[in-house]
Parts: sequence; C-alpha cells; structure tokens
Amino acid sequence: MSDFVSAPVVSEARQILERLRANMRVTIKGKDDVIEQVLVCLVAAGHLLIEDLPGVGKTTLAYSLARSMNCAFARIQFTSDLLPSDVTGVSVYDEHEKRFVFKKGPVFANVVLADEINRATPKTQSALLEVMDRARVTIDGEAHAVGSPFLVFATQNPVDYEGTFPLPESQMDRFLMRLHMGYPEANDELEILRAPRTNYDGIVLNAVADRDDILRLQVVAQQVFIEESVLDYILKLVTATRTEAEFKAGVSVRGGLALKHAAQARALLLGRDFVLPEDVQTLIVPVFAHRLALVRQSPDALEERRAITAILRRITAAVALPV
Amino acid sequence: MSMENRRPQLNLPELHQLKWLLGGLLAFIAVWTVVYMDVQAWLLLALLTLAIPVMTAKPGLAMRVPRWVHLLAFPVLLSVFAVDLLSHLKEPLPPVIRLALMLVLYRVITPRKRRDDLQIIVLGLFLVVVGGVLSVSIVFAVQIVVFTACALLFLLVITLVNGMEEGLPLAAGATPGWMHVEWRRLAHRLRECVDWRVAVLGGLLFAGVVGLSAVLFMAIPRFELGNSLFLDRLITGHTKTGFSENIQFGDVVDIQQDTGVALSVDVSDRSQVPSELYWRMLVLDEYAKGSFRMSAAVKYSIDRVSAQNSRVQGEAPPLANESVWIFYLETGTSRFLPLLGGFNEIAFEGEKEVAFSRDTGLVMLRQTPSKMLAYRLEGMQTGSSLRLPEKIAQIKVASDKQELKAPSLTALDLHADEMAKLAAWVAEIGAPRGSPVEFARGASRWLAKRHGYSLQSEIAPGRAEADPLVRWMDSGSPGHCELFAGAFALLARTAGYPTRLALGFKGGSWNARSESITIRNSDAHAWCEIFDAAAGAWLRVDPTPGSVVVGDPANASKGEAVLARIRDDSWAARFESLRVFWYRRIVNFDQQSQVRLVRNAKKLADERLRALKKTLRAELEALKGWIASPWDVRRASAWGLAAAGIACGVVGWRLAGRGAWLRWRGGRTRGGVDPVRREAGRWLRKISDSEAGISDLACVRTELEKLRYGRSANWPEPMGIFRRAKRALAGRRR
Repeated sequence: MSDFVSAPVVSEARQILERLRANMRVTIKGKDDVIEQVLVCLVAAGHLLIEDLPGVGKTTLAYSLARSMNCAFARIQFTSDLLPSDVTGVSVYDEHEKRFVFKKGPVFANVVLADEINRATPKTQSALLEVMDRARVTIDGEAHAVGSPFLVFATQNPVDYEGTFPLPESQMDRFLMRLHMGYPEANDELEILRAPRTNYDGIVLNAVADRDDILRLQVVAQQVFIEESVLDYILKLVTATRTEAEFKAGVSVRGGLALKHAAQARALLLGRDFVLPEDVQTLIVPVFAHRLALVRQSPDALEERRAITAILRRITAAVALPV
Repeated sequence: MSMENRRPQLNLPELHQLKWLLGGLLAFIAVWTVVYMDVQAWLLLALLTLAIPVMTAKPGLAMRVPRWVHLLAFPVLLSVFAVDLLSHLKEPLPPVIRLALMLVLYRVITPRKRRDDLQIIVLGLFLVVVGGVLSVSIVFAVQIVVFTACALLFLLVITLVNGMEEGLPLAAGATPGWMHVEWRRLAHRLRECVDWRVAVLGGLLFAGVVGLSAVLFMAIPRFELGNSLFLDRLITGHTKTGFSENIQFGDVVDIQQDTGVALSVDVSDRSQVPSELYWRMLVLDEYAKGSFRMSAAVKYSIDRVSAQNSRVQGEAPPLANESVWIFYLETGTSRFLPLLGGFNEIAFEGEKEVAFSRDTGLVMLRQTPSKMLAYRLEGMQTGSSLRLPEKIAQIKVASDKQELKAPSLTALDLHADEMAKLAAWVAEIGAPRGSPVEFARGASRWLAKRHGYSLQSEIAPGRAEADPLVRWMDSGSPGHCELFAGAFALLARTAGYPTRLALGFKGGSWNARSESITIRNSDAHAWCEIFDAAAGAWLRVDPTPGSVVVGDPANASKGEAVLARIRDDSWAARFESLRVFWYRRIVNFDQQSQVRLVRNAKKLADERLRALKKTLRAELEALKGWIASPWDVRRASAWGLAAAGIACGVVGWRLAGRGAWLRWRGGRTRGGVDPVRREAGRWLRKISDSEAGISDLACVRTELEKLRYGRSANWPEPMGIFRRAKRALAGRRR
C-alpha cells in the first residue's frame, strides 16, 4: 500500500467506523463522545484506561466493541492475589505428549477488559503492561502473539483506593488515553432502565466489521496526512507541558507520538485524510492528562484530575493555533 | 472548527509578571527625574537604582522581606520625614521628594496589590511633574512621554489582572507561583501574544495625542508654569559648578573638567560676532594669602542695586540696527550672567531680582536660577576694552556706618624678598613705563618663555607662608590659565598698573544646525583686566599661551569667519541643536515668537499652495494643448492599444493574477508555511470571524481546511476555493 490515502479508502474507512459507532450506540446510550474516543483508540492501535465509579457501563462498552467487530473478548478481574500466569497463561506438563504445553491465559483475546487493574500487585500489573507494549507473551523463551487487533480496556476506581497499588507514571504512559464515562443523562438512563436485560452477557449485537477491517483501518490511520505546522503545534503543546511550573514533569516523547496518532485516527473517523488542529485540541486532555502529575499532589484523585485538566485547557488556550 | 482562541493570551501569572516589570520600570523612570533636581538624595537614589533592577528581576525576594519591616515602615517613614521637614523648614520640597523616594523604595521591595500599584503611579507622577516644573529640561519632555505610555500600559495590565482575579481565593503568606519568573520565556510569550496591529495602532494613537498636545501647547497663550505653581520657590538652587562670588583660586580648572553645556547664545547679526569670545562673568580684585577673591566692596556694589525688574539698563548707548543676543543659561551654571562687554539693555522674561554694578559691569541674580534662564541683550559691546571706572566709589554700609573701602588694585601683601623678586622680574621684562599694552605683551612673552601650558600643574614646594604664585613663577613648571592670569596680575601690580582677574568662559562652538553658539563648562577660563589710565578703560589681557594677549589684532577675522572656525558638526552638536530648539520654541516661548511661528507657517503654506496651483494650471494647459492637437489614426490606435492593455492587465490580474502569483510562489515558503496554505489560513480566519456554522460557509470551510492542512497533492484548485470563500463572505455580509 502506498503512503497515499485515496478518497475511496477514506470513505470506506469512514463507513466502517460509522457502522461501529452506530452499533455501539445501541447499547451505550448518550455517550457519543466516549464511543468516539474508544474508536479513536481502536484505530490508533492504543489501549484505554477508564477511570470511573463502578456500574457506569465500562464493561458493556468493552464488550459492545468486541462484539461489533466480531472479535474475541476476555475479562480479567484483577485482585491482589492474581498471579502474572493468571493473566498471560502458563506452561503445564502434558502427560500424553511428554512435554510442556503452553496454556494460553485470558490475555489471548482481541479486546481484553482488565477490571480494577490497580487491585493487582505491581508484578501482575507489569505482566499485562508488557503484553500491551509488545502484543505478545514470552514464556520459557517462546513468544506467543496475542490477538490482532489487540485492545486493552483497563479500569480503575478513582474513589476507593483502599488496598490498591496505583499504577506508576511510567506505566500510565503506555495507555493511549484515559476516559471517564460519567453518569448518563436522565433520558438515557430512563431508557437503560426500561431495557429488560441486566448483564452484558445478555447483550445481543451483530458484528458490523471484522478483524481485517480494523487492521486495515489502523494502517490507513497511520497514513493520514499531518501538515508541518500541525506537527509544530503538537510539539509546542508538548513543550508547554514540560515548562509548566505546576507539573512535576512534562509529557514524554511517547506522549507526543500518542497525540499525533490519536489525532490521525480522529481525522479518519471524521472522514478526513488530513489532521486539523481541532483534532489535536479535542484529544489533548484524554491523551495527556493521565501522563501528568502535579507538583503539589492533591489527596483527592478527582480533584487532581480536574486541576490537571484545567491547566491543560489553559495551555491549549495559550498556544497559538496554526492558522 | 473553533477559532475563538487562535491568538494565545497571557495567563494570570504572566500578566502578574508583566505588571511587576512595568511597576519597576515606572519607578525607575520616576526616580531618575530626581537627578535633574537639586535635591540631596544620593543615598536613596543609589539604593533605588540598585533595588529596582534586582527586585524587578527577582520578585520572589519581595516575599522574603521580614514582617517587622512592614510593621515599622509607616512609623519610621513618618518620623524620618518629620525630622527631615523640621530641619529644612525653609525649603519643604526636598523633604517631600525624599519621602516620595522612600515610599517608592518601600513599594518596590515589597509585594504589591492593586492599591500599591496605583500608589506607584501617583508617586511617580508627582516626581516626574515636580522634576519637570523645576528643571524645564528636554529630558523631562522625553520622560513624561515615556512615563505616560508606561503608566497607560500598566493601568491596562492592572485592570486585566483585576478582572481575571475576581473570584479567585487569595492565598495568604505563600509565595505566588508567578514570582518564579523566567524572563526569556515571558519575552517569548509576549512576542507570541501581542497583536502587533493593535500595538502599532495604539502607538500611533498615543503619538497622535502627544503631537496634538504639542500643537495645542504652541497655539494657546502661555502663562508661567513655574511661577504659577510656586514650586521653584520651595527649593533653593545650588550652583552645580563654581562660578560664584566665593570662587577660589584653582576652581576654574575644576569647572573645566565638566563638559556639560553651560550656555547657548543666539545672535541676530552674525557679522557682530567678535574675533575673540570672552564671556565675562565676574572679577576678582583682592589679592590676599596667595589667592585672588572678590572684594567685599565689589560684592556690596552689586548687592546694593538689586531690584525686582524685567529690564536692566546698561551704560552703552543705543544703536540703530543693533544686533540682538539671546542667552540661554543652563541650570545651576551661575547667578552671574555671562556677557561679552558693556550693553545697552538686558531684558528677562518676567520680573527677576537682578543687580547690576556700574562700577564693574557685572550683572547678578539674587539666586542661581534653578531652571534654564533666558535673557536678551541689546547694544552689546564686543571689544576688548571696557569703559568702566578704575575704582569702585566708596560705599557706606548702612547698618553700622562703617566705611567699606575698595582694595587697592596695585597693592600686594607679600614678603619683602618676594616683592624684590617680582621687582626684579618686572625689570627683566623691561617694558616702558606708562604703557600698559606694552607691559602686557612683554609680561605675557616673559611668562610664556618660562612656563608651558598644562592643566595638571604643580606648584613647587617651599616655605609654608611663601606666596604660591611667586613660587610657581620661580619654578618654571607648566601651569593653567589661572596661574598665568594670577602671575600676570602680580607682575602688573608690581609695575604699578591696576589689575584684576576676570573669570568666565572663552570661546565656544558654532552649532550650524541650531545656528547658535554653545559654550561648555570646559570652556571656563581666567584672564586679566589692566587699567589703561590714558584711555580711561579696562583692557582685557589674556596671558595664557595660545591667546591673543591684548587688544584685537589688526587683521582679525570677524563674523562668519569666526563661526566657521569654531563650527562643530559632531553628533553631540546635533543633539544639542534639539535642546536649543526645545529652549527656543517650548520653554522660552512668548506670544511674540508664537505669532512669528504662526506667520512663518502660514507663509510656508501659502507659498506651497501657490506653487501647487501654478503646477496644476500648467499641467491643465498642457493637457488642453494635447487634446487640441490633431488626432491621426496612429495616435488614436496607440492610445487605444495602451488602454486595452491596461484593461487586460487589470482583468487578467483579477482573474488569474493571484493564482499565478501563488503558483510562482509555490514551494517558496515563508515561515515554513506554503503561500497557498497561508492564503487558506487567512480565509479561514475571516470565515471564523464572521460567525461560524452558516451552511454556505461550512462547505467552503471544509475546502479551505483541505487547502490549509491537507496533502498538497489532494488540493482542489486553490483560486476557485478562494473566490468561493470571497463570494460566500460577501453574501454573508449583505
């Protein structure tokens, strides 16, 4: 494939993404912006961290996505006694074959929901994070590729921190975005209440795309054109976070790349073959916020998140748009 | 796409930093006006000069000022002021100025709230205005303009900060985040955030207001600002340099160290400029203890005739068509007025307490003027001899009826052996008796033979009680003008000629730009006056080597030739001419010169208008003639072709010119952005300014976005898009 995105390719990509979006809307009510960001993450081949209170539809979101694109879904409930092998899999001795055979863990799926990731020990957390980074599991010197596409939905509860192991900043950096869903609007909630089903296993969704479609989308997204001044704009934003006195440290190079990839994915999602500064502006908070920490840390995670968001908005307002 | 915030804005910390910087700048400008006033506040000035830059650069230091400073500041300042005021009751202004300086210092070293910022403006304005009224110098004009501009900007920033801070909780005690300033970053941000168009417009507006004020200032009738405010009476002037009646022997050399301007002189008739310019200010007639000084009799002869007057009548007769000399004496030069010789009349602006001694020809003001003084002289005699009496008439002092005798101008109170030495030297000079001119020439030659000229002169050590001048003459070491003049006076007095020292300035430089003579303090000079009994006049004798000793040489040049000789074209002279303009047109601007200026302006305008009318009429005639001349086919077709060519050019440019330009410029980027992208960005900005979301604009906007941010290979035809954008915007406006 050339590095040139032709109009039909863009239009086809848009159709696929629109189908996915419409399909997910059936189960996720009134959260169009969240669906958009999930799709951006999917197209940019990144992973998602969802920080929110229990019971706002995080699992439903992940499951709906997996169903819509006809992919394998796995859910791992993280607890303090969860072992790395519970996530990645384990080699066991096979009596018949007289050798060690690798039993795949739940991570061998396309959409993996790592529920309450901060409840597991750092050892287990890092096992998952290695998979996220490399998209493969290495056991006994043998590499086993996980599903492709591979998307991790990690969730954590921002309020209840009792007995948890917060993810270190270096590991937060591996998530492309952090989202929070929030409660739905009254009308949407009423509609949810009206629905007969109670858990996500009862969700019946038709697949509207397949794995190949998603992989193709991911390749096309990388070829979305990004003009020099927009790149410069991203660089200025990144630099501004590094010189901001209220942040402990600025965004890493990986963070800047993440913003670029996410902006490209959003452009494709909106049917464009080029990135607008607006794409960058829209995504700066979900892509950057979880990578930053305040110099004066707040005891309340929600409070800190709000403060970081406010500073990022200020930075966005302060850096000149490339017009 | 939202474009509301396409221009970044300074955030609150940055505005705070800017506010702090401007506050420091204002304080600095205001504080430095005090330098031009004669106020003893050097310690405070030095402290402020040090504190303002340091505190401005490091605002965090303000938080480290201990609490007790704030507690003690008010009582301490008040008591210092009270003591200062009580000890200077006669001149209350300097203590008030010192108080203002102390308050500024306190405000500069402590964190400022809005009220304190406003206080800095008020204190600064006070200092600038007082400095201006007292000095009336051109620096004041510059300072007030810069100060006003800064103050306006400062007020704007204060208002912005205030607006943004509303509702924010105030953190007490902790150092605010903005106090960690990275000045380079702030400069960068300022450059990024300033809308240069608005800044230039603001600057132009300000310049316009200043210009308009200047025009109004010239147009409205004047009143004496200084007198109306009485400010200059609250402060007594001190002579900056040393031309006072208490001048000591050797002081002239000190004055020469200062290169500042002492005097500017306008002359109406340049042919009247004499070959040698000796600006006589005072005479020293008494010699005692190795030093010349002004005798009590001379002092009294001046003091006795002082009166409040706007005119002084001199001894010289009025002449027809005589030239008018206008002198501009700089602040603090002296209270004795420099003159070239006798005069018919001196006129001042307004009444001055002025004294004129007919016996010595000296003119003196009651006080050293604390601002530039202008006076006008008519009938000034410029020769080298002064028709004045030999002796001062005996004066009775009114208070104790004690008779005050003028000192003898030939007596010398010296040791017998010194007198013998002097007598021997006079014999060595060997001039015929009764001819002061011959003696002057001989003695000057004799002195020049024995001594070189040098500003650094040493008088050879000798007996403590020995006369220093005699010692110097004995030594043969080089000397300066005062030593030559003093030595000459001793010799002349020994020879029996009444002699005294005259002090003032010699020479000057001709500033062709301002057409005035500039005399600097470095032109200070000392010479002698010897009485010629035969002529009944005092002759000027300058024994310093390199001078014309006595009288005017027969073939001495006058007028323009002299000015050409002393012409100065340096940059300093150009700046000087600005200052002279300031004095002539702004400070010393009476109604007469106002009328003259208006007349000149009207004359110039009339001339220009006449010339324009004449040119237009001539052009019209030419056109008529051209039309009237016969038309043939060749001529008509040539003109038709030219008109068609122009029309094609216009239409072609409108249709394809910009496109061609863009294509030609394609790839040649300016600031990293392709011209098509730049143009598309311009249209996007225009569209976003004219309310987004209109459906006909939305389509064009998408296309423009494609041009601005899309891949150039996918571009639609740019000119078509720009035209559509133009049409859409025009339709929207309608």
